[in-house]
Amino acid sequence: MGERLPRSCDIFCAVVDNYGDIGVCWRLARQLAHEHGLAVRLWVDDMHSFGKMLPELDADLPVQTCRSVDIRLWASVMPLVEPADLVIGAFACKLPDSYVAAMAACERKPVWLNLEYLSAEEWVETHHQLPSPHPTLPLTKYFFFPGFTPKTGGLLLERDLLVRRDAFQHDGNEQASYWQLLNVPPRVANEMRVSLFSYENEAMHELLRTWEQGAHPVTCLLPEGRALPQVAQYFGQQTGKAGEVWQRGNLRVHVLPFGEQSRYDELLWACDVNFVRGEDSCVRAQWAGKPFIWHIYPQHDSVHMEKLTALQARYVEGLPEELASAVHDLWLAWNGGVDIAGAWGRFVENRTNLEEHGQTWAKRLSGNNLALNLLAFSRQVA
Amino acid sequence: MKTAQELRAGNVINVSGEPMVILKAEYSRSGRNGSVVKMKMKGLLSGSGKETVYAADDKFEQIILDKKDCTYSYYADPMFVFMDEEYNQYEVEEENLGDAVNYLTDGMEDKCEVTFYEGKAISVELPNTIVREIEYTEPAVRGDTSGKVMKPAKLVGSGFELPVAAFIEIGDKIEIDTRTNEFKKRAN
Repeated sequence: MGERLPRSCDIFCAVVDNYGDIGVCWRLARQLAHEHGLAVRLWVDDMHSFGKMLPELDADLPVQTCRSVDIRLWASVMPLVEPADLVIGAFACKLPDSYVAAMAACERKPVWLNLEYLSAEEWVETHHQLPSPHPTLPLTKYFFFPGFTPKTGGLLLERDLLVRRDAFQHDGNEQASYWQLLNVPPRVANEMRVSLFSYENEAMHELLRTWEQGAHPVTCLLPEGRALPQVAQYFGQQTGKAGEVWQRGNLRVHVLPFGEQSRYDELLWACDVNFVRGEDSCVRAQWAGKPFIWHIYPQHDSVHMEKLTALQARYVEGLPEELASAVHDLWLAWNGGVDIAGAWGRFVENRTNLEEHGQTWAKRLSGNNLALNLLAFSRQVA
Repeated sequence: MKTAQELRAGNVINVSGEPMVILKAEYSRSGRNGSVVKMKMKGLLSGSGKETVYAADDKFEQIILDKKDCTYSYYADPMFVFMDEEYNQYEVEEENLGDAVNYLTDGMEDKCEVTFYEGKAISVELPNTIVREIEYTEPAVRGDTSGKVMKPAKLVGSGFELPVAAFIEIGDKIEIDTRTNEFKKRAN
């Protein structure tokens, strides 16, 4: 083992569901480039999805540099390039054969990592950092699992994120400017602000009805995406677009543009409760330190429920029964369960305590930084 | 070619030119449609063992080795001795037995499949289902016959412990899935 510090990095990302995969890869690419000085090439097979979260990206250009990251279109024919010191295949994507052959031909082999999906399940700890020797070539790939415990790869966390979050959450003027930028009027008494980022959800209309008929005003901030048609339908609309505002009873919905990651962080910091989906936004909601509800990516054989339960168990560990049940009931109701109205009521009753827990939870997780762990491991196996 | 998820303990595959015998394979779902297989394997040439993980659809060239039906005879420290129908005896190291070691008992009649590489017995596969007697377990829980509540139980002979249904008692015979080490049902 050479303890060699990587100076360059190739990240390969195959976009599967529009935003989650590229969201994680883009975040990792920027962190490795900005905070650790690596020359990062990010190979993406769907520039149009990527462009949704990176406005300056020209989706028709196969090669470009944005924010110090060299962005390349990962086309069916891979150009001949020299492999980087550190090669990351995100979410088990299959690297091009020619690129793998080039890695095998290198005198000093690159460190090759497979960055896996995030899971709180216990088995992740025993799989993290295990080698995966190539069946035919003199190359070894290593599996790297993000996670919530010290025996896993940790979570993506920018160096200054929590400082920026705290500054934002303690600065009323900055928050007011933020809401003004979104054309959301100042808060009224007892109003609750909720961000809603989810997949299509069977409980959506019942949740919206609960907010509409609730005792206090609810302002729902809805980024454009898969949940939008369902919400639009609730308001008697065919569809909706950014900038639209719909009101029924005590519920007002503001449709927001699907934006940059940093703007999404501010939304999570500014809202009282956050509904998030998939992997990347779920992690960001945890850094926001606010009560959150996770809509996990549904799988046909319901295996996703084990992952949901695993995170939930870790998240509520040590909490009083009432708080733990409040989280359990609402997460379950939002993921195919029943009685979301009742579950929402119990969740809101415990909001203050859950917010306190959210801050503690974020602090607890912050000591296990994925980028730092990834670089330390790559030095170890180089 | 076989995918990683099709491989079982006892299979031998080619990994970068070295024949590797799989001692244990454990399947897990990793996310969305992805899944992984954690495999403990040992090089037949180098003798060195390693723990690895593969995507479930990674493909491997399987090496077909000689196999013989045998029965377990006895333990001759540190080797386990098996015998074929022509009374030839073969010694197998404990490390090469994988999970089969959990179920070996003197006088057992289950047919085992012993695999050979260059004349050396390198692995043993048991039938997928075997029957074993319970040596010890805590008393049965009254009223629970659902089979969902589990408790630990120790097997006669090997002393191996596994979770069984709460209604199982000392002296009961149970069916076990040897691929997963899981209790299936009461056999008597």
